[in-house]
Amino acid sequence: MKHLTALCGATALLLAGTAYAQDAAPLKIGASLPLTGNFSIAGAKHRAGYELCIDMINERGGILGRNVELVVSDNRSDPATAINQYERFINVDGVEAVYGTFSSRLSFPVANILAKNNMVHPLPAGGALRIYTQGHKNIFYFQPNAAEYVGASLAGVIRDLVPEGERPKTAAVISADDFFANGVWAGLLGEKVMDPADGSEVADLAPGYLADSGIEVVFSERWPEEGFNDWLNLANQVKRANPDLIIGLTASAEEAVQLTRALKTVRATPKMVYFSQGTQAEFLEGTGASAEGVLVHTSWHKDAPFEAVLGGQPFSNLDFVAAYQERFGEVPDEDAAIPFAVCQGIEQAILGAGSTDNAAMGEWLSARTREEPVRTILGRFNWDDRGLPADKPFLMTQWNDGELQFVYPTDEFVGVDKLSHPKNGF
Amino acid sequence: MADFIQTLILGLALGGVLALMGAGLSLVFGVMRIVNLAHPSFIIAGAYLAYWGFRLWGIDPLVMLPVAAVILAAIGVLLYRFVFEREARSAKYSEMTVLLTFALAMVVEGALGGMFTNTQRVTSPSYATDAIFIGDVFIPTGQLYAGLASLAIIGGLALFLKYSRFGYAIRATTQNREAAELLGVNVNLVSMASFAIGIGLAGAAGALVSFVFSFFPAKHWEWIAVLMSLVVLGGMGSILGTVLAAFMLSVVAAFVGDYIGSTWSTLTFFLALFLILLLRPQGLFGEKPELA
Repeated sequence: MKHLTALCGATALLLAGTAYAQDAAPLKIGASLPLTGNFSIAGAKHRAGYELCIDMINERGGILGRNVELVVSDNRSDPATAINQYERFINVDGVEAVYGTFSSRLSFPVANILAKNNMVHPLPAGGALRIYTQGHKNIFYFQPNAAEYVGASLAGVIRDLVPEGERPKTAAVISADDFFANGVWAGLLGEKVMDPADGSEVADLAPGYLADSGIEVVFSERWPEEGFNDWLNLANQVKRANPDLIIGLTASAEEAVQLTRALKTVRATPKMVYFSQGTQAEFLEGTGASAEGVLVHTSWHKDAPFEAVLGGQPFSNLDFVAAYQERFGEVPDEDAAIPFAVCQGIEQAILGAGSTDNAAMGEWLSARTREEPVRTILGRFNWDDRGLPADKPFLMTQWNDGELQFVYPTDEFVGVDKLSHPKNGF
Repeated sequence: MADFIQTLILGLALGGVLALMGAGLSLVFGVMRIVNLAHPSFIIAGAYLAYWGFRLWGIDPLVMLPVAAVILAAIGVLLYRFVFEREARSAKYSEMTVLLTFALAMVVEGALGGMFTNTQRVTSPSYATDAIFIGDVFIPTGQLYAGLASLAIIGGLALFLKYSRFGYAIRATTQNREAAELLGVNVNLVSMASFAIGIGLAGAAGALVSFVFSFFPAKHWEWIAVLMSLVVLGGMGSILGTVLAAFMLSVVAAFVGDYIGSTWSTLTFFLALFLILLLRPQGLFGEKPELA
C-alpha cells in the first residue's frame, strides 16, 4: 500500500510538473544552423540532435518547470547570415539561451556576437584554436580538444599500437583549405597559429606531431574549400609520392568519400590512412570495402558507455542511441550526438544556475571540475580558461568489417577493438 | 612524359563529363535567351534518379540515363508551359528569367532535400572506381564511360540540330527569333522543345554525375559558376563551343592542379570567365555583341 501511495504521489507530482510546464511561458533557445548550402548535411543532423534532446527534456517536464522551445533558423552555411540570426534571436525573438552552430567558419564570427551580448556560447563544432584565444568569457567547446591538437591522437596510435618496425616513415598530408582542417594541419606539421584579427601569435606548434613521430612529409597539398572536383589528379599526385601514411584532412564526409574513391581508382597503396572526417554512415556507403582500415578521429562513439543525465534523470549514451534509432530509424553519428550533448550541457547549466541568467550559467559551467563535471553522452566535460575541455582525449576509430570500431585510447573505457594494420591499399 | 600524358588524360576525362553538364545550359540560352541558373539543380535531380534506380533495383546509371533524361524533359515541358511561357511576354524578360531561375534553383534544392534528405550520395557501379592501366598510365573507367556517353549524346544532338527539320527550326530560332517567326517557325513550340531538351540533358548529365562525383541537394551552387565559365568561353548558345571549352578548361585545370597546386585548379574556371568576358565577350564561337 505504501508503495502504491508513493507511486501515486510521484505520478501526481510528475503530472503537476508537466501541467505547470505546459502552462508557463516556453523557454526559448535559439540555434542558427546550416540547413542548406555546403554544410547542410551536418546542419540537418545537428537539428535532429537538438530537437531530440529538447523533446526528451519536455517529456520529462521541461527545465525549471518550463517547456523548452527550439527556435531554428537556416543560415545557408553563410557566416554573415549566422551572425544576423543570432542577433535576431537575442534582440527580437527573446531567446534566453543559444546553442552553437556548425563549423569553425561560422562559429568564429558568431563567437564575437554572442560574447558582445553576454550569452553563454556552447559550441558543438568549432575546433579552431583561434576561436578560444579571443578572450571570450563564456565560451564552451563540446568536443574533446581544439583541432590543432587532434594530431596527438594519431601520434598516439602510431606510438602505442603499431610495432616499431612497422611504423610509417613517410606521409602525404592533403587538406581542405578549411578553418578546422587547417588547424589539424598546423598541429601535424608544427606551424605557428596566428590570430587573424591582429596577426599575433596564438601558438607555436613546432616541431609538430609528425616530426615528433619520426615521420617525413613527402607530399603536402591543399584543395579549395568549395568547388573542387579534380580528385583523381590529386590522388595521383599522392600516389606518385608513395607515402606510407596518407593523411586526408577532409572537412566533410563528402570530401572523404571523394578522396577515398579517387585513391582507390589510382590504386594507391599506403600502409595507413587517417581522415579527419569519415565516421558517418554515408562514408561507408560511398566507399564500401575501400573504407576498411581507415582511421578517423571522433568525439563520440555509439558503444561508449558514458553515463549522463537528462531531465534530471540518468540517461546513458546507449539510451541516446536507442532513442535516436526509434525516432529516425537509423544509427546516429557524431554530427547528431555532439549537439545532443550541447543541449544536455545547457540544461545542466540552467539547472545549476537556477535560472536562465547567462552570466550565472557561465559561472556554473566555468566552475565544473573533473570530479563535478557536466555529464553528457560524450562523457564528462570541464573546461580550461579558454573554454577548451580539460584532459579529454579524442577517440580514434577505424573502419573494420563495415563497422566503425573504437581503437584508441585503450584506457578510456572497455570494449576497445584491435587496430588493423597495415591497410594494404583500397 | 608519363606524368604529362596522365595529367592530359585526367583533364580530358573531367572535360567529357562537364561537356554534357554544360550542353543543356548552352542550348537553352541559345534558343530562349534564358541563363538557367537552375540547370545544375536539375543535374542533381537526375543524379538522384540514377542513384535510387541503382540502389533500389540495381539498375546501372548508364541504363538509368535515358529514364532520367525523359523524366526531366517532361518536367521541362511543364515548367515551360506554366512558368516561362508567361514570362516570354514580359518587357523585362531577361532580368525576370534570371530571378526566376535563381528562385527555381532554390525550390528544386528544397524539394530534393525534402524528398531525399540532405545526405550526400554517390552511385557505386564497379567501374566507377576502376581504371585501365597501360604501363604507368591509367584511364579511369568511370570518367571514360561518362565521357563517351556524354560525347555520344552531344553528337546525337548535333546531328539532330543539323539534319532534322525541327533542328533547322531550333537553329533558326537561335540565330534570329523574329526572322524565324516571320518565316513560319512556331517559336513557342521550338522554345518549349528546346527547354525540355535542355532540362533532359541535365537529367542525362545527372546520371553520369551520380557515379563520378558525390552529390547532395545544395551541391548545385558549386556547379553553376563552373558551367557558366564553359558556356561563356564557348560562346553563349554554342553547344560545340561549350564542349570544346569543357575539354580546354578541364585540361588546363588539370595541369594547373598538377604543376601549380590544387587550390588553383578550381580557380582556372573562374579566371577563364573573367578573361573571356574582358577580352572576347562573345566567346570562342559566339556572335560579336552589337553596340547599342
